[in-house]
Amino acid sequence: MTEDVILLLLSGLLLFMVGVYLMFAYRNLLRIILGVEVMAKGVTLVLLAAGVFRGSVEYIQALIVTFIIVETILAAVVLALTFVAQRIYNSLDIRNLSKLKG
Amino acid sequence: MLLYASLVLLVIFAILVCFFRDLLYAAVSLALASVMLSVVLFQYGANIAAVFELSVCAGLITVLFVSTVSMTKDSDQANESRLPAYFLPFILVLFLGLDFFLVKWLAGSTLVGAGFPATPGLTFQNAFWGQRMTDIVGQVSLILVGVFGILTIMRALSERRKHD
Repeated sequence: MTEDVILLLLSGLLLFMVGVYLMFAYRNLLRIILGVEVMAKGVTLVLLAAGVFRGSVEYIQALIVTFIIVETILAAVVLALTFVAQRIYNSLDIRNLSKLKG
Repeated sequence: MLLYASLVLLVIFAILVCFFRDLLYAAVSLALASVMLSVVLFQYGANIAAVFELSVCAGLITVLFVSTVSMTKDSDQANESRLPAYFLPFILVLFLGLDFFLVKWLAGSTLVGAGFPATPGLTFQNAFWGQRMTDIVGQVSLILVGVFGILTIMRALSERRKHD
């Protein structure tokens, strides 16, 4: 692997871990969504690293564009759910969203 | 040099998301991380993906975040614990160690190099509209799912208000 690919992989995996930490450490629903977004940045970097490694950045661009669409739709729907949850429970703390328990 | 600087800034802005107490600053930090990611994508010649990242992630998602944060400003944010932010430097050292270990393992893995060979002379248009045609169907369905999902969620809220 070239230096560039290793650097991209290192940063991508680090961002993914930071995103996972944000999701696990905080109780605020909006911070958890921010964690998902940070994870998504890491995944985009790892995808780019794969493309650079294979020497086909053009092909991986198509996948990155698809991934960006998925990320945006996810953010939009989850933010709408957060808004509704806040209106119903008057709180964004996930410990208060007890009705979601199975 | 610009590549290394933008990668370092990308990681710094992503880590700053954890440190900011105010969610608005955290959202802006995420947007700046997106800008840095699009600079990285530009550097590798992924121009269309970079434009998408810049307009959609740094623009649209930030607008959605900022509007949701301003619509849901409540007492919760003040009571949030600062403990995760204080622990983060130690966790980051742990993550970096794990990160180096994982990348070292990946570099020596037999999986690396397996798979389809890269097609020479492939353009984005050919890859997107030719080889990844099914992705477009998926994207259109996802956009519809998003639109109808948000409409259903908002309608449920307004019906609940009428009921109350």
